[in-house]
Amino acid sequence: MRRLSILLLFFSSLSLHTQQSDFKSFDFHKIDKIAKNFKAKRLDDLNNITYNLTKDFDTDIEKFRAIFVWITHNVSNDYKLYAKNSRKRKRFEEDTIKLEEWNSKFKKIIFKKLIRKKRTICTGYAYLLKEMSDIVGIKAEIVHGYGRTADVNVENLEDPNHSWNVVKLNNKWYLCDPTWAAGISYPDQGKFVFGYNDGLFLTAPDLFLFNHYPMYSQYKLTPVVPTLTEFVNLPLLYSGTYNTIDAHIAPKKMHHKIVQNDYLKFEYELKEGISIPNDKIKLITVSRVAERTYRPEVIQNGNRIQLKHQFKKRGFYDIHIYMGETLIASYTTDVKKEKE
Amino acid sequence: MKTNSKLSTKRSVAILYAVIGFLFYSTSMNAQDIQVKGIVKGKSDDVIEILSGANVYIKGTTIATSTNKKGEFTFPRKLKSGDILIFSYLGYERKSVRIRTNTSFLSVILEEDDNEIFGAPISNQRFKSKQNKQ
Repeated sequence: MRRLSILLLFFSSLSLHTQQSDFKSFDFHKIDKIAKNFKAKRLDDLNNITYNLTKDFDTDIEKFRAIFVWITHNVSNDYKLYAKNSRKRKRFEEDTIKLEEWNSKFKKIIFKKLIRKKRTICTGYAYLLKEMSDIVGIKAEIVHGYGRTADVNVENLEDPNHSWNVVKLNNKWYLCDPTWAAGISYPDQGKFVFGYNDGLFLTAPDLFLFNHYPMYSQYKLTPVVPTLTEFVNLPLLYSGTYNTIDAHIAPKKMHHKIVQNDYLKFEYELKEGISIPNDKIKLITVSRVAERTYRPEVIQNGNRIQLKHQFKKRGFYDIHIYMGETLIASYTTDVKKEKE
Repeated sequence: MKTNSKLSTKRSVAILYAVIGFLFYSTSMNAQDIQVKGIVKGKSDDVIEILSGANVYIKGTTIATSTNKKGEFTFPRKLKSGDILIFSYLGYERKSVRIRTNTSFLSVILEEDDNEIFGAPISNQRFKSKQNKQ
């Protein structure tokens, strides 16, 4: 028995790849269809809603899938609420009493909005997922931490700003982010557009960690745990990345220093069922003066994809990798003069 | 020695009767329907307020009701001793209450969850390093 559990531990720590493959035998399409067609105007009677939503399913994974799909197709992200909260939190940064008061008041506002209008922000999504899971006897927890995006926690760590979930299915913990799976926000227009991202459902822990650093380490679910400094030095990935790749293999860091004519190499592992023709892969460099688009050298081997690009000119560049229209990752490099 | 064993037999018979009696008693009590009413409030810091729209349901079933504007509820089904009622409201820690034969009015106070509220939406904005910002 002990040997078995050690073996299991070994296997679970090896789980680099998408965790959805643990449940290959389940027909997610059928579950998704039922969940998408399920209607509930308000969330007052969450117990009934959850029971009716999951009544056709026997296993935890099916029920959890239905709950996740339903939430991410029905609850919208309220950017105004987010902006208001950020403003207040910043204003009361130094005043813990006022911050606590605000937090308590704000909690009431967000749960009212969630129940009546099905609009919320991250913590509301994470709460709802936990509550609905609880109702059908699935163990899920809310995880608070640092979400890393193009404009937050990207180069320096600011404050914890994001919430997501861990869920226990068949005695194993999995990660998911219902907020980011629901769709994309347009901060400048103050709007939100639904667009389900399946890459954030039972995501591979190593990939998830690129954008999610929990306040408490037991929720990382990875054997090797980076420090916070290492976290902000990881390459920056985007939400679309989760739909396209299963693993980011190289480079390990976001910022690079190279000399003129050096190459930078990039390596990813594509998700099962995703194929990208070589000519659909772009590398864009942005310097203070110009933005240039290149076709990097591409080698594809099975689901591995390697890119290589030579930097011929000096300067400081932001580097963006695109696969099709999807922005996959960003890096920077400082290209210095070649030594004599 | 003999008297001792006689005594212990007598005692065990007495215990047996007591157990059987209790079983009859408790099943007959179980069979009794219990009408449960109550009020649900929420506590955050030291402030207690009424929770309207709180969920009240029998554990593991869809038999449920929710509280009215005054935070009150009358459970739609007669309950039995041993049934477990769950009280929940988003943002508060859920509570479960075991129904007893003498339960009739429940005053339930849910504690506010001490979680912080965060929200980082994901946008499709592309990263721009400080060095390259105009």
